[in-house]
Amino acid sequence: MMKDSFSSFHPIVNFGYFAAMLLFGMLLMHPALQVIALLCALTYSILLNGRRAVKFNLLYMVPLFVVMAVMNPVFNHAGVTILFYLKNGNPMTMESILYGVSAACMFVTILIWFSCYNAVMTSDKFIYLFGKIMPALSLIFSMVLRFVPRYKEQIKRISLAQRSIGRDITQGNMLVRARNGITILSIMTTWALENAIETADSMKSRGYGLPRRTSFSLYRFDSRDRLVAGTMLALIAIMVIGEASGRNDMRFFPSIKMAHTTPFSIIVFAAYLLLGMLPVIIHVVEALKWKSISSKT
Amino acid sequence: MQEEQLTKPNRRLSRRTLLSAILILVVIPATILMGIYLLNDRKYYFISLLIILYTMLPFAMVFEKRKPQARELIVIAVLAAIAVAGRSAFFMLPQFKPVVAIVIIAGVSFGAEAGFLVGATAGFVSNFFFGQGPWTPWQMFSFGIIGFIAGILFQKGLLRRRKLSLCVFGGLSTLVIYGGIINLGSATIFSPSFSWQSLLAVYASGFWFDLVHAIATVFFLFIISKPMLEKLDRIKVKYGLIERE
Amino acid sequence: MEIYQLQDVSFTFPLSDQATLSHIHLTIASGEFITICGRSGCGKSTLLRQLKSILTPHGKREGTIRYAGKPIEEADQRTQAAEIGFVLQNPDNGIVTDKVWHELAFGLESLGYDSGSIRLRVAEMASFFGIQHWFHKSVSELSGGQKQLLNLASIMAMQPSVLILDEPTSQLDPIAAADFIETLRKINQELGTTIILTEHRLEEVLPVSDRLIVMDDGAIIADDTPRRSGQALFRMKHPMLAAMPSPMQICAGVEAGIAAIPVTVKEGRQWLDTFLQGRSMELPVVDTESRGQSVANAIAGGGKRQKPVIQFKEVWFKYGKEAPDTVKDLSFEVEEGQFYCIVGGNGAGKTTTLSLTGGLVQPYRGRILIDGKNIAKMSAKELFTNKLAILPQNPQHLFVKKTVEQDLYEMLSGSPLSLAEKAEKVETVVQFLELEPLLTRHPYDLSGGEQQRAALAKVLLLEPRILLLDEPTKGLDGFFKERLAHYLKKLNAEGVTIMMVSHDIEFCAKHGDVCAMFFDGSIITENATKAFFAGNSFYTTAANRMARHVWQEGVTIEDVIALCKKSS
Repeated sequence: MMKDSFSSFHPIVNFGYFAAMLLFGMLLMHPALQVIALLCALTYSILLNGRRAVKFNLLYMVPLFVVMAVMNPVFNHAGVTILFYLKNGNPMTMESILYGVSAACMFVTILIWFSCYNAVMTSDKFIYLFGKIMPALSLIFSMVLRFVPRYKEQIKRISLAQRSIGRDITQGNMLVRARNGITILSIMTTWALENAIETADSMKSRGYGLPRRTSFSLYRFDSRDRLVAGTMLALIAIMVIGEASGRNDMRFFPSIKMAHTTPFSIIVFAAYLLLGMLPVIIHVVEALKWKSISSKT
Repeated sequence: MQEEQLTKPNRRLSRRTLLSAILILVVIPATILMGIYLLNDRKYYFISLLIILYTMLPFAMVFEKRKPQARELIVIAVLAAIAVAGRSAFFMLPQFKPVVAIVIIAGVSFGAEAGFLVGATAGFVSNFFFGQGPWTPWQMFSFGIIGFIAGILFQKGLLRRRKLSLCVFGGLSTLVIYGGIINLGSATIFSPSFSWQSLLAVYASGFWFDLVHAIATVFFLFIISKPMLEKLDRIKVKYGLIERE
Repeated sequence: MEIYQLQDVSFTFPLSDQATLSHIHLTIASGEFITICGRSGCGKSTLLRQLKSILTPHGKREGTIRYAGKPIEEADQRTQAAEIGFVLQNPDNGIVTDKVWHELAFGLESLGYDSGSIRLRVAEMASFFGIQHWFHKSVSELSGGQKQLLNLASIMAMQPSVLILDEPTSQLDPIAAADFIETLRKINQELGTTIILTEHRLEEVLPVSDRLIVMDDGAIIADDTPRRSGQALFRMKHPMLAAMPSPMQICAGVEAGIAAIPVTVKEGRQWLDTFLQGRSMELPVVDTESRGQSVANAIAGGGKRQKPVIQFKEVWFKYGKEAPDTVKDLSFEVEEGQFYCIVGGNGAGKTTTLSLTGGLVQPYRGRILIDGKNIAKMSAKELFTNKLAILPQNPQHLFVKKTVEQDLYEMLSGSPLSLAEKAEKVETVVQFLELEPLLTRHPYDLSGGEQQRAALAKVLLLEPRILLLDEPTKGLDGFFKERLAHYLKKLNAEGVTIMMVSHDIEFCAKHGDVCAMFFDGSIITENATKAFFAGNSFYTTAANRMARHVWQEGVTIEDVIALCKKSS
């Protein structure tokens, strides 16, 4: 499978896209918009993660959806259309059932968007974005990301060293295991703190702490990024106007009230679909381009 | 002076601590409540997003503004990384996490601000390994605020560097603060509308989990607090964090 | 032009009444390649840190240090960061960020360069060092040699005029170390950067050095070209001679032809030929017997075959189901009381073999017997109580407490002994390893060699009959190595079997009973040490490479010296 093209865009484009999709995903309650968001998120997650995404969606997201949709009406008895009464005397309303479905849909959508986010916004992209505004903290993140794999490796080595003097952490009862785990953690802590002194020296030695520190990155905001960012902004603008004008309002309680579908609201739906599918469209276009180039040679 | 935060003079520190305290203890809960009551139906996600801003911003701004030295960054990064990686030392005991214990020790040893940063960083970075999600801000906030409160209580003399005192604080804070906030988080994330019933249900279902977590924290603090604080004291001398006051 | 001028520099650490550096006079010209050597604790690291004042530890300094003509105090942090590069000993500790490209840019970011300039400098450095292939990788994916190269490159990106390196190769294997020295030579020759480094392993670095400075007890005792520094040591009959490359030591030991004292193996061969001219060449007593003898009889003292305590029988091992075989069809035996050395390149499976012997990993085919018993059927308790122990490569992995003494007692914490019995055991080990002066110190405040001794003490408290060692000489200077050998020999004499994996050919040749060559997952050849090295033509000691065209059996420095002396 070809590498996702959208990931190769400037981090600010990536981040802006996910921020917009997450925000809209949480805010918008109109069923058409919700379905569009879910569809887009699903498509992109499958494009990004392939079979793993299908498994993730089927195995976790579907049951989650069901549980959440069922849970709401059990606890929530608002709404005017009473369908029947539960054993404890509480009413079951149509509004709360529908609301449950809608909320579950939103939640699942958000989670799937996050699974895409995790695949696209790798730590170095985040640190780059963050580094512009918060250089010290982003450096801390970068250091922690460097330390954690190193410490995990140390923990492995230390536990081997402990085992080779007869202290096996995989044997014995809970208390013994916990004690051995603590010994390992303790050794690791001392090791980490003492060795970090040299790392601080290395930072000082290379001028850390001088005023006017800059932040370097491999990313460049090129014309391709401008084009996509412009498109994104235009689509977002349509969405915001649509939302502000109340064209796709939705209310559940006390009774369901949905704005009528008008030509403008259809434009808003289309804009949302386009925005949601943007990474997929980019991917397909680039793949086609590649195909036509390689067929020429 | 070793109770003070890393290297800065005393008075500026207390003003900053006060500012942070107001922001964390007043503004954030107010936002949560406002969000819950003003944004009706199901806009609770915004609250979590706002929290990440509220928790990060004042600390980040203050921290960035005073241009921390290399050794301050290193101390925070090392402690946060130990908290994250420490979980793998207990791979054979699931749910047995040392994070809260390490965050409390960081707060006591290096002050409220460092405590918060260690906690929030640990919460944030661990999700780079386990996956970011809507829960990230809640975790960052809970871990961070425990470290922060530990630092403040220690400075005010209410929390001692003694096993008993630390264990009591650790157990309560894990159960009440961490459990309380995380469950509130899942109540808003997992149930679409806010009701006391659903909140209670979430608290009840999370209770045993929180209890195990609290016991783990107490266990860790009981065993590692003393050697750990000694190690950090030694490091403070070695880094010259006290001498250059 | 002088880049550094040190006049009467002394340095004393706080709370210490003895000066770590005393009355140092030193002038370093721009573009020189300078090697500083001396035993651990002689003050060479302290001296290096004086040359970059932002890294100077607290303490009292006297005398003046001039950098580029001006007192070093006047060089501000920016100048020092940009112009004076400093590479630390442990490659892992020098790296701050998680990505290779970010690490390369780190210093330039601090100096406030704009993105365009950083991009150019980083690209230049990546190309110069051949880093472009792993430019986008995470630091955690790199090998030790690559990490040290990254440290160097990230400093070179700032285009310093002087490069200071504190034992940069001590944590690297010999191949990576030689590559690293070669890169330094290239920097010095092609960019004209002044290089000042400290080093224990001099064989590779001396041929490219302009000057060799020898330090002892805080003072400079020799400062000249490598050859003349060697002569000076010879005239002083100084113990630091023992740290010099083998050809120098042989020449000094023979006490002839000092005027042309050889530095490299090539010069050594020429010197030997000149030396032997007109002399009746002593033919070694070719003990044809020992050559044909089985390994079994090669144990010191020879004689009859001992019972095997470690037996590998057609052992196969791999780390994962899909992973390639790390150990392939491995069979060998170690007999009781032997000092058995496994040598060979990196990644050949040596350390895995050690882990297999210690039962840390299990083979998927074949059997491993310890004392005739299948290891797979032994409990950890049975295996590690009075039977087998491993000294890990990094001694720091064993330290738990805040003093060495507490750490030793910690080792016995699980045993049912009374306090008096424990104290007696600890006392015995402390005496055996001469740890008395270190007992109240924090384990991390000890030098590398001392840490190892403390770790060995912990391991010996288990009273093992078989001791496994993983690269025990890594990062140690010659004196600590000799000391380690001394203790190992003492253990050997008490009947403890020792099995060691090492890159350190010289050490194995000098002290091992039997050596085995590991290659591609298995032992290729195995023989009594002398015969083993005499039989190799390339993978052998420097002394042997120097003398093998005359005496194939001359393996150690002492052998060759003795043969030279007899040929008169």
